[in-house]
Amino acid sequence: MSLSLDSTQLDRYSRHIIMDEVGPEGQQKLLDGSALVVGAGGLGAPVIQYLAAAGVGRIGVVDDDVVERSNLQRQVIHADADVGIPKVESAKKFVERLNPDVTVEAHETRLDTDNVEELVADYDVVVDASDNFPTRYMVNDAARIHDVPVAHGAIYKFEGQVTTLTPDGPCYRCLFREAPEPGTVPDCATTGVLGVLPGTVGCIQATEAMKLLLETGDVLEGRLLFYDAMDMTFETVPYRENPDCPVCGESAIDSIEGIEYSGGCTIAD
Amino acid sequence: MDVTVEVVGEERHEVSVGSEGTYADLLAAVDLSPHEVSVLVDGRPVPEDQRVETDHVKVLRLIKGGSASSPDGSESR
Repeated sequence: MSLSLDSTQLDRYSRHIIMDEVGPEGQQKLLDGSALVVGAGGLGAPVIQYLAAAGVGRIGVVDDDVVERSNLQRQVIHADADVGIPKVESAKKFVERLNPDVTVEAHETRLDTDNVEELVADYDVVVDASDNFPTRYMVNDAARIHDVPVAHGAIYKFEGQVTTLTPDGPCYRCLFREAPEPGTVPDCATTGVLGVLPGTVGCIQATEAMKLLLETGDVLEGRLLFYDAMDMTFETVPYRENPDCPVCGESAIDSIEGIEYSGGCTIAD
Repeated sequence: MDVTVEVVGEERHEVSVGSEGTYADLLAAVDLSPHEVSVLVDGRPVPEDQRVETDHVKVLRLIKGGSASSPDGSESR
């Protein structure tokens, strides 16, 4: 790694550079680093905002949706004038205004079994800011196969869950082997969500992504952080690798081929 | 057997189950469905149909959201 921070960057990132834990070398790691943000909505918005501000050099954004007015109560990178345009386009525009050091790769598509592995393998870290189980399980499975860490987050009404899935730690299926059948678990679209909640949870995910890129600190490996905004409490739930896990256990898969990511996202024994 | 059922983010319950009682019975006692949770014993999920062999479990609810735009669950959070 060669240090090539110019005078503008020394100024822009000065509050990082003066920290022992980051320094010019750490800032260079961020500028040379890449992150794939899956979803440019409530969770994805603060993730994109902070990773871009921090100077993560290449940020991929995957989303196939357009900005709706009802998004604006929480999806802070999109503005009123963006209603109707693709979220990835709005995200790219936001980052271009924020930091010229960052390249945004806009993937206006839905993650599926045909594109997930190629996309995930092309980045240093994945931030799962998705809102549906097929995407969540697909990201977990593909990232594990390609040894890419995932900063995972999920929210519901006033509560959030965050965990980090590293190649050496337990994966999401160690905790939740299969997705529930559609309709059995409510989502934010039907129950509502406190506008600031994805900001808190997304910022924790962005923190984890930055630590992964900086290779510093203790990430939420084997720990799930549960946040209750109503009580303003955080609780850490430890969990372990499951030897029977179909993705990272003793009979781990080496391909997602044949997995049906609908219903329970089940992997046949 | 008396079992402490700790639902993460919610209450702690003390539940009594018979010698043949399963983790699904514990969940039923606290009004939760196996579809929406993971029952953890020492940090590992246990099958719901397995007989209870511990006096303490943690129950973690599976949550879906990333703040979707549309109720049909389309991609965006």
